[in-house]
Amino acid sequence: MQSQATTVATTRVAVLTKGLQLAFAFLLGAVIVYAAGFLQTSEVHNAAHDMRHSQGFPCH
Amino acid sequence: MLFRRIVFAALLVGALSGLMLSAVQRWQVVPIIEAAERYEQARTPQAGGAAGEAAHPHEGAGEHAHAAGHEHAADAWEPAEGVERIGFTVLSNVLVGIGFALVMLAVMSVALRRGAVSGRKAMAKLNWRHGLLWGLAGYAVFFVAPALGLPPEIPGSVAAPLESRQVWWLLTAACTAAGIALVVFGKSPWRWAGLALIAVPHVVGAPHSGMSPFVGFPPEMAAEMATLAKQFVWASAIANGVFWIVLGISSGWAAQRFVKKAVA
Repeated sequence: MQSQATTVATTRVAVLTKGLQLAFAFLLGAVIVYAAGFLQTSEVHNAAHDMRHSQGFPCH
Repeated sequence: MLFRRIVFAALLVGALSGLMLSAVQRWQVVPIIEAAERYEQARTPQAGGAAGEAAHPHEGAGEHAHAAGHEHAADAWEPAEGVERIGFTVLSNVLVGIGFALVMLAVMSVALRRGAVSGRKAMAKLNWRHGLLWGLAGYAVFFVAPALGLPPEIPGSVAAPLESRQVWWLLTAACTAAGIALVVFGKSPWRWAGLALIAVPHVVGAPHSGMSPFVGFPPEMAAEMATLAKQFVWASAIANGVFWIVLGISSGWAAQRFVKKAVA
């Protein structure tokens, strides 16, 4: 009985953490794209300048 | 661990699509950027300053040749012309490729999980052909939809304030992504509301400056820059098309190969 309950609990935790892991992967990707494409710091802007123009990100 | 597998797959996919983009870009996009910058630098300083002030009253008219709202700070670091600039552009391309690949693979994984749970075979499977469709969706979300309102610009052109264009760009990408997801994955008749969602940002309208984009230039130069701008839209449309097709196909392959086992 107890092992069954543990199994159910473990599965639930696994489902939850998988959801979290996917959310983190998504967020990490969004942050990277934001940093490369949208951050207005001059240095970042100058480094990524040609990529921003080419990708159609608003640049100036 | 699922997260690690996705990151690994995204590094592969991002490197591949970013390098591919760099090659296509080098050949047809960058020459147009360089030509536009030559015009920008050849412009008389007074005219440039006037245009800069007209477009961005909050920014001082920089002494820098790139006056019209172009440079954030004239003395800020920038990569040296040549290898360094190319290197940073390639790096940015790969970085943005990795970012988009992470987003793409995370959403693909959600679709795989839902497919596995509901037993819909078409969704539980992901190969490079499905990946191609995902890539086209990415192209629509992150390039075509924003470009319909804010076409990719060449350096030197005057536009609405940057923040408002960035907000519109992000809003458009989000609405288009949500709209496509609703139409494709929705099950009730409400799925068709996704089409309305896709249209919302275009009904709201992209921010525009209300000025000619080349207001600081002498007329003949402005005409030549307008031609460059038109070529640039098509050049970047092709470069982005290649980028998203490569990114989609390789994400589909990588999701099946590395991520699927850990998802279900």
